[in-house]
Amino acid sequence: MRRAFLTVLAFFSLTVACAQAVDLPSWHGFVEQAYGGRVSRDSLTKHQNYNMLEQRWQLKTRYRIPGENALSRWNGVLTYKGDFLLDEYFGASGSYEVRECHVAFSPAGAVDIKAGRQVLTWGTGDYLFINDLFPKDYVSFYIGRDDEYLKKPSDALRVSAYPKIANIDFVVIPHFTPNTMPEGDRLSFFDSFQGGIAGRESDRNAVKPALQAENMQYALRVYRTFGSMEGALYYYRGFDPSPRSYLDEANRQLFYERLDAYGASVRSPFAGGISHAEVGYYRSRQDPNGTNRLVENSMFKGMVGYEKDLGHDLKVGGQYLYEQKLDYAEYQAALLPYDYFWDERRHLLTQRITKLYKNQTVMLGLFNFWSPSDRDGYARASCAYDMSDQWKLVVGVNIPWGEDMITDFGMMAKNKNAFVRVRYSF
Amino acid sequence: MKKFFVLLVMFFGVSAAWAQDLTVDEIVAKANNRSYYQGKDGNAKATMVVTDAQGRTRQRQLTILKLNIQEGGDQKYFVYFHKPNDVKGMSYIVWKHAGGKDDDRWLYLPAMDLVRRIAASDKRSSFAGTTFLYEDISGRSMDLDTHELSASDAAHYIIKNVPKDAASVEFSYYMMKIDKNNFVPMMAEYYDKSGKLYRTIEALEVKDIQGYPTVTKMKAADLNANSHTITEFSEVAYDVGLTDDIFTERFLRNPPQQWLKE
Repeated sequence: MRRAFLTVLAFFSLTVACAQAVDLPSWHGFVEQAYGGRVSRDSLTKHQNYNMLEQRWQLKTRYRIPGENALSRWNGVLTYKGDFLLDEYFGASGSYEVRECHVAFSPAGAVDIKAGRQVLTWGTGDYLFINDLFPKDYVSFYIGRDDEYLKKPSDALRVSAYPKIANIDFVVIPHFTPNTMPEGDRLSFFDSFQGGIAGRESDRNAVKPALQAENMQYALRVYRTFGSMEGALYYYRGFDPSPRSYLDEANRQLFYERLDAYGASVRSPFAGGISHAEVGYYRSRQDPNGTNRLVENSMFKGMVGYEKDLGHDLKVGGQYLYEQKLDYAEYQAALLPYDYFWDERRHLLTQRITKLYKNQTVMLGLFNFWSPSDRDGYARASCAYDMSDQWKLVVGVNIPWGEDMITDFGMMAKNKNAFVRVRYSF
Repeated sequence: MKKFFVLLVMFFGVSAAWAQDLTVDEIVAKANNRSYYQGKDGNAKATMVVTDAQGRTRQRQLTILKLNIQEGGDQKYFVYFHKPNDVKGMSYIVWKHAGGKDDDRWLYLPAMDLVRRIAASDKRSSFAGTTFLYEDISGRSMDLDTHELSASDAAHYIIKNVPKDAASVEFSYYMMKIDKNNFVPMMAEYYDKSGKLYRTIEALEVKDIQGYPTVTKMKAADLNANSHTITEFSEVAYDVGLTDDIFTERFLRNPPQQWLKE
């Protein structure tokens, strides 16, 4: 496998060299080595002492389409970004992921189109998402990969229009991409089929919606500014990106229930900082009345947040998120004895503090999630040092904790890690 | 005779204008407009080389687009990062507000497709990790300081600027040397609270671009840290026809190709 890695390396070096020789678009990217050691042993997972050990090679390029064709007249740009990952955690298995491969162009003065694989993000939260239902990778988040890997790409068509009254983003995603969630081999988690925290023995599976017309996902955002204030309305029609509903209990099958989401957000300067607020109503289309114990209920989510620059490269921020399961009485009435059940309300607070040192080359960051209702939390601390324009070193810790094994962070409590990443950018 | 009389009047008129002393506020206003408000709009490529006390260097390369909303007042900036490679493709919009209101700033991180609003009330923090401060790049509002003409020679005005709110900044005052001919600020020297010179900004090269005297090379030095940054502006152009819509989320997410100086 190492030989394969070296071959790939040689191949890409050659490609880059050739590209430069004949004046093709320039390639950039990085090579990164990462290790994440467990704070305490976890005998449930594949490796007891660590949960990340990998080499990553990223290559990306942008290419402005030349010539006299329509795409060049429309300012067409091709973007490509791919990651080769050599994952020692899974026996040095190599994989290649295309993270971005899209063409962007403007066929009319006030219309932009982006077609292909792309990362999609909107909404106002800081690590909290209400109306951004695009896929995320929470495994990467918990083991300490770069923030970039929290977002997963979607194969999508994005059409943006900019009439005078408001801006419109309309996204069509033909093929469903779920969130990457802990599955036991790398991160232990609460598996209701196993009746507790499970590792490798977890054998549940989540059934993805098939690729067919009725399973297309649509996301809409209408937004504009009012002076310095930004306002947005959101609509999403698709699926819950995490598998929260039961398809077949006997066969340990979960599925991604159909979901409609309606939401709104504002973001504005306030008292020398930036404040934001966002709400969302999730309508569970396969259980609109909450009477089906196997399917996730409809929900209301709302959050407010504030961030302020205190000077001297010190920034602090805080957020409050409120979640409420709707039709809770129906949910309770439908539960069977011995069913695990979740609370009606969840309160979650977050705190961020970021301080830069040494002419902004050293960044110390601390981010805390804390839920007083779930009695759990998750601390993320990191120190990043830009040693030069090429070399970057990041060390950090991920400390999820909690009293209860079924809550979001509580179930992750055995996955505490300390990580180090060294990256060379080119 | 009549012609001669007209000439005579013109001559005296002109000399009167020359002789008429500008007030210090007028000088500062002219220098401020020279530095930040020339043309209706402008764009340039900036290459910034940061050198630290050990002689190690870092490089930043950016495209800067600027649009004046009103002379001496509000402005909009678009900054696109070409280098270093780990931030290549990042773009940045500033709606600069004159008169006390905090600037609006947005940052776009392409890897996450994330538009982040930047809470940045501290304008005296480093610009992109260089020796230049945010305020050096976008301008310091004239109203924040009192200005006094402390000296003047054949070629320069020397102006002392004292902050009205001493607690809001790290300097106690700064001296500015302004070219009498074209009002280009040639040198700024910052003194700390104990009266020691600790920071300088110097114009190293001034070129005439489309009739606008333009600083094309400048140096900021931090005398305490013994580090400095040299910024060179190339491909400078004024009145290129930038429009207001470029400075919005649309172009933050899809940088305006025709203006990027790759």
